[in-house]
Amino acid sequence: MKPSLKHFFDSMGSYLARPGDESLQRLYSAHPEWRAPSTRVSIYGDFVRGHIRTAVEKLFPLLRGAVGAETWNALVEDYTLTRPARHHEVNRVGEGFPAFIADAVSSRGLPPYAPALARFEWSDFAVFASQAAAPEPVERLTPNPTLVVLEQPFRICAWVRARGQGVTREPEAGDELALLWRHPELLVTYYQEATPPALLVLKMAVEGLSAPEVAAATGMPEADILDAVARLSRDGLVLAPPA
Amino acid sequence: MVAMTYARRHGLSPLGVGIGLRRSFYEELPRTHRTLDWVEIIPENFLSLGGRSQRALDACAERWPVLPHGVGLDIGGPDALDEDYVTGLAALVKRVDAPFFSDHLCYSRLGGVYLHDLLPLPFTEAVVEHVVPRVREVVARVGRPFLLENPSYYANMPGGTLSEADFLRNVVEEADCGLLLDVNNVYVNARNHGYDARAFVDALPLERVVQIHLAGHTTYPDVIIDTHGDRVCDDVWSLYRYVLARTGPVSTLIEWDQDIPSMEAVLDEADLARAALREGAGR
Repeated sequence: MKPSLKHFFDSMGSYLARPGDESLQRLYSAHPEWRAPSTRVSIYGDFVRGHIRTAVEKLFPLLRGAVGAETWNALVEDYTLTRPARHHEVNRVGEGFPAFIADAVSSRGLPPYAPALARFEWSDFAVFASQAAAPEPVERLTPNPTLVVLEQPFRICAWVRARGQGVTREPEAGDELALLWRHPELLVTYYQEATPPALLVLKMAVEGLSAPEVAAATGMPEADILDAVARLSRDGLVLAPPA
Repeated sequence: MVAMTYARRHGLSPLGVGIGLRRSFYEELPRTHRTLDWVEIIPENFLSLGGRSQRALDACAERWPVLPHGVGLDIGGPDALDEDYVTGLAALVKRVDAPFFSDHLCYSRLGGVYLHDLLPLPFTEAVVEHVVPRVREVVARVGRPFLLENPSYYANMPGGTLSEADFLRNVVEEADCGLLLDVNNVYVNARNHGYDARAFVDALPLERVVQIHLAGHTTYPDVIIDTHGDRVCDDVWSLYRYVLARTGPVSTLIEWDQDIPSMEAVLDEADLARAALREGAGR
């Protein structure tokens, strides 16, 4: 690459890393003969920064609403400065956001549940877009290959569900094992707390246990076990062989 | 009318009119009864995303030719080509059996950071020398004909020594690739930089045009932004007909990426383009 071209890229790189009046002035200083209107050049700074903001706001709408507009704007601005866009797929800029939020809780006075909510929202997208393909058809009860398990210190699943019903209180503190998976036919993310029936059915899928074996070992009615298997198969948490 | 040398040399025939496979059309498009000749995909939306995007792609590929049109190749950037990206792109092109694929003559990555935008390059011989071997590398690795699109740009980059048309010509001729002529970009650039759009078209290597893009834009007091967020305006339709009169029929895409309306509205625009193609063929 010619030195003049390297100089161009270096100067644009400095500007685009932190678009603003000062960096724009430095960009022009690097090219004294350049006569392009600065209002036109700054469009690119606005675009590049805007793409990160748009992607993060699309991925974390609940967190955004929970922290308020002013705090959110500062968070996204500072996250953008970490240069998170390391992948060609723009949504991947959100991958590092939960860790960024976890580091920012005390210094920015974020609600204590913010990191758990950020992880939940990122997992929601990651499961939705997972490249894991459901084996079709399965020969035995099988865990959904897109399943993600989150161990959280807040009851995020209940909060998200209640929020959808118009309840606006904050998430309650308390251990939660959140299960998120993509429904194999609808291809949307499902979530729920890991209830005893859900864990039992997952155990059956992982260990290849039959309903009579589980009934014998636990004393549970076999019909209840079969009901749980049928319900969670319909929800796609586990994949069942054709009847 | 110029001979479509590049297309003929590669056995490429005009495909008619296509629209983009956008997320809001994933369920509806594969089932449409409307006339549609081909579908364009943005490969970045399919290289690493599973689920609905893959199901929609498979369903469309069963019905129509699929043409990948990338935004992340970074053909003009200073970084080495992204190995994972090019490998994935080659696999995707083969998977959908695309007759050709395309991206933009721009840069989109600096220091390993994706900018997720199509940034303009200076119109210089140094850039031509930089881009040409990268195009050849991409073509060799993907193994299908490749087109570069003329991007929109809002400011001339510093140090330019070539006209925009000469810059485009030098790149596509020296790299021996095709040209994806975005007619809306020509219009937007001509308005933003005060030149004659038709004279610009006349200066291009039209024998290399294999595909055309049509789109809407947004007009502000001091600049027109290439938003792909509106219907194709009358002036762009007129310029499209001017191009077709010189190229003959060319595969044409209706691009609509922001404020996306109903799929029916986008297909209505595609019908208008198809009528213009027929009208051009009847001359």
